[in-house]
Amino acid sequence: MNTRQERPTATHSTEPSSSNSGEHSNNPAEEITHKDLLRKISQQRAQDRENDSTQTGAFPVVNKTSKNKLKNSSRTLRSRLASSVLVALLCAMLGYGYVIQINNTDMTYETMSETELTRLISETSMQVDRLKDRKDQLSAQLRSLQAAADKQAQAQKIAEENEAASGILSGRLPAQGEGIIVRITQGTKQMIDPSILFTLIEELRNSGAEVISIDDVRVVTSTYIAQGDGALICDGAMLSTPYLIKAIGDQSNLQNAVNMAGGVGSQLTVKYGAKVSIETSSDVKITEVAHSSDFEYAKIVE
Amino acid sequence: MAAVLGLIIGIVVGVFVRPDIPVVLQPYLPIMVVAALDALLGAARAYFERNFSDKVFVISFFANVITATLLVLLGNQLGVGSQLSTAVIVVLGIRIFSNVSTIRRFIFKG
Repeated sequence: MNTRQERPTATHSTEPSSSNSGEHSNNPAEEITHKDLLRKISQQRAQDRENDSTQTGAFPVVNKTSKNKLKNSSRTLRSRLASSVLVALLCAMLGYGYVIQINNTDMTYETMSETELTRLISETSMQVDRLKDRKDQLSAQLRSLQAAADKQAQAQKIAEENEAASGILSGRLPAQGEGIIVRITQGTKQMIDPSILFTLIEELRNSGAEVISIDDVRVVTSTYIAQGDGALICDGAMLSTPYLIKAIGDQSNLQNAVNMAGGVGSQLTVKYGAKVSIETSSDVKITEVAHSSDFEYAKIVE
Repeated sequence: MAAVLGLIIGIVVGVFVRPDIPVVLQPYLPIMVVAALDALLGAARAYFERNFSDKVFVISFFANVITATLLVLLGNQLGVGSQLSTAVIVVLGIRIFSNVSTIRRFIFKG
């Protein structure tokens, strides 16, 4: 731009001075020939035309710049390629760093500041405290549960024992053990009545019989013996001779209870004329069971 | 064109190659990334204004990254590293926003 502007100004500045010099030279030299004057004037006009033309000044500059541009474009083809490669490289670096930073999720403690570290420590210790509290709670709960489980197991054990004992006692369960088997035939002098049989059962009980059965009937607390038509009835079942009475308990005690002098055994033989045979056994099996009754009025005391 | 290509190449390389960043560089990498992003958006804005110069872009890229890193380094040495990095992030964020708004005006106006 500057060079183009300078040229016309330069020519303009030279133009008035040259014309002035021409006028000055004209005035004193009137004797100069007409031819010279004409030549000078034509020269001057040609020069003026040349100087006045605005294009002449602009053209070379434009040509020059265009030439330069052409040269530059040929030169920048390589540099432009290089610069675009550089731009691509920088952008690649940016993307690379970005992705790496995204993937770099595991924060190392070395890069953290002091305040962050202290905060982290306090948070962690608080969490530890909370977890300890929770652990204490849970272990207490576990202990109480274990105690409860132990208690329950014990209760179950006792219940099982009770069940066995009371089952045998109430006649719900079959039982076996050492004891005696008493066989009584029908009396020759007198029919055997319920009272003597009941006395026998009572004697056996007194001498420690734990389980007693008459024929197919298990003797429990509510067992009765009654006189039926020609036969004895025990708990609704007809008894037939010979009466078979099984008792589990201490053998000698039971034997003594029956054989006692003036006892049930001698009464049966003497008064009723029945044959009484006692057989001791180390394994008396009483498989008869009594049906347990549902209690309508009685309830367990809480 | 070259920029987009370079970005894609960089991301792909970053996905597949995962080097361990040196511990010294770790706190500066995010700042560097944000600074480079700012430079990239400035270049995009210049491109839309039709006075993009690759020379200026390269220089501004490095100047941004190095200035941000040095600022954070200085902050770390003075004990205000986190605050200063926050300041750098805020300033770069503001610049990114203004660049994006200019680009947006170019896209949706013309």
